[in-house]
Amino acid sequence: MKRLATVALAAAALAGTALSALAEDFKIGLSNGWVGSEWRTQMIEEAEQAAAAWKEKGVNVEVVAQSANVDVPGQIAHVRNFISQGVDAIIINPNSPTAFDPVFAQAKEAGILVIATDAEVSSPDAIYVGIDQKGWAMESAKWLAETLEGEGKVVAINGVAGHPANEMRVAGYREVFGEHEGIEIVNEVNANWDQAQGQQAMQNLLATYPDIDGVWVQDGMAAGAWRSIMDADKAGDIAATGEIRKDFIDIWTENDLNSGASVNPPGVMASALNVAVLMLQGRELKEPATAGQYNNAMYLPIPFISSENLKEVAASVEGKPGYYSYTSSLSIEDAEALFK
Amino acid sequence: MTSVSSPTRQDNGSFRALLGRFPFLPALLILVVLLVLNGIFEPNSLSFRSLTGLVRTYLALMLLAVAQTYVVYAADIDLSVGAIASLVNVTIIVLMQHMGGGGLSVLAALGVGVLVGLACGLVNGFVVAALRLQAIVATFATSIFFTGLALVILPVAGMPAPTVFWRTYGGTFFGIPFVFYVAAALAILLYLLARTRLATQLLAVGDGQQAAFQSGLPVTAIRIGGYALCGVFAALAAFCITGDTASGDPLVGAKMTLFSVAAVVLGGSALSGGFGTVAGSVIAALIIGLINSLVFFAGTPSHWQNFVQGLAILAALMVGVLVSRRGRT
Repeated sequence: MKRLATVALAAAALAGTALSALAEDFKIGLSNGWVGSEWRTQMIEEAEQAAAAWKEKGVNVEVVAQSANVDVPGQIAHVRNFISQGVDAIIINPNSPTAFDPVFAQAKEAGILVIATDAEVSSPDAIYVGIDQKGWAMESAKWLAETLEGEGKVVAINGVAGHPANEMRVAGYREVFGEHEGIEIVNEVNANWDQAQGQQAMQNLLATYPDIDGVWVQDGMAAGAWRSIMDADKAGDIAATGEIRKDFIDIWTENDLNSGASVNPPGVMASALNVAVLMLQGRELKEPATAGQYNNAMYLPIPFISSENLKEVAASVEGKPGYYSYTSSLSIEDAEALFK
Repeated sequence: MTSVSSPTRQDNGSFRALLGRFPFLPALLILVVLLVLNGIFEPNSLSFRSLTGLVRTYLALMLLAVAQTYVVYAADIDLSVGAIASLVNVTIIVLMQHMGGGGLSVLAALGVGVLVGLACGLVNGFVVAALRLQAIVATFATSIFFTGLALVILPVAGMPAPTVFWRTYGGTFFGIPFVFYVAAALAILLYLLARTRLATQLLAVGDGQQAAFQSGLPVTAIRIGGYALCGVFAALAAFCITGDTASGDPLVGAKMTLFSVAAVVLGGSALSGGFGTVAGSVIAALIIGLINSLVFFAGTPSHWQNFVQGLAILAALMVGVLVSRRGRT
């Protein structure tokens, strides 16, 4: 019975793929291994919208998404499920930089295009489309160093120790601050990308070093850190990096904070999707993706929010919920410009 | 897989007797249902290749669930299994790298890995059984300690495993994928372990520590033994993680800990100790894997997937509990 049903279904599925191969029809799997923040939800939603936008171009892009809190083996299972389903491409926000090498090799063998976004992967069988996390940190570190006019005591509040993006960011700001002789990093702490821990860390830092001039804090904790700074009545004396969420941008505008924020836009997955579709169409990149430590990256531009463009940014997120992140992504036309 | 297929033959006794003998029957039933459902929604998921992939991916969780089962036997718990797996993972990766990555160095690294797991288990056993700290809190604390050690050994995820190692794990020998040999070896090992005095003694301690102590059992030593066994199996789980991921990651096992506890309960073991089987835990690890796949294959929208997964695991737990209750009372 069971086997019969299976065979029948398999036949139906086969017939389905044969038919759909005639039209320009792509099936793209999206894998997200962590759902702890609204940023990730927005990332998936923007990618789904980007897929829908291809309809106007006469291309049918069907997305299937797997998004759940999983461990690394659980996300490897995501990829295996996509292989079983026979997708054309997989876009993944990976939970580990290196752990997917074997399974990506299997995906490639099955003729599937694999693109990682938001976090780089070491696999030679995949490419990375997203921002350079080190560059992200360097942008905001530069802003802070320039705002302090190259002189002052700085503390850093980081995410999860051992997380690759965190380590790249740490390397980024250290490099920039190292270039400014007057900037002294007096302490660096980890607050695990958690607002409450960020707020607490900032309180401790303010108590220990009452004379700091600048705070370099990663997103996801900056709002918390700023709360501590404002509670201590030091908002006028301290420059600190900020967030891209609407609720923070509102606070920023209201209190005229001395802040600047590098943008890691949730639209990176949508950008990756547009690149994926063009690659599936057989188009070739003008510049092959060879950047980064794994020589497989294609870096997207990193927008920056400072007092100069705060008004425009605030206007663009007007009417959105507080958790909405300021975003940007490659449109289909932007992406096409990258191809021959 | 092979470990689950043998005991399905019908005994002539009643349902209750059958369940008493094979407490993992409800789990086995759920496993079969899930396999069928997966096959209906995605016929490809029952292909040999997909099933091999399933075992390859979830062998680590199976071993971790087995590790957890031995401490749960004695009514203890180990919230550091995931951290032990991470620590062993980075230890063997770094060792293999330093020793050149040849066949012998791989074996030597694996030997050290087992010892590291054993040592972690002994530490846990010492703080829980000898120092008499609450298991749930003490092992949570040691998990932070083990993670810290892992971060010292390998500060950031990376460092590839030697090709010979992961090619073997992902490879096929005489037409049969390597992981099936491992599964068969595991089945034999578990069968033998179930017959050892330690397994029986762990269950006796879990049934009633006071009673076990009064009847002359060395309760402290037995509980330490349970944790030691747990540490060794966590190390074996780490080998599978390393084989499937081909790299070191100091945080890789952290999220697997609670899944291992869930698998133990799903498999029919009682968290209050004294009752259970490792076979059930092995099956339950596969159930968790199949639930995750099914939620996707059934076309659940992405923002509902966690919710539905949670519901499905709850439902599986309820079915298991209801069936066992009918069988046991």
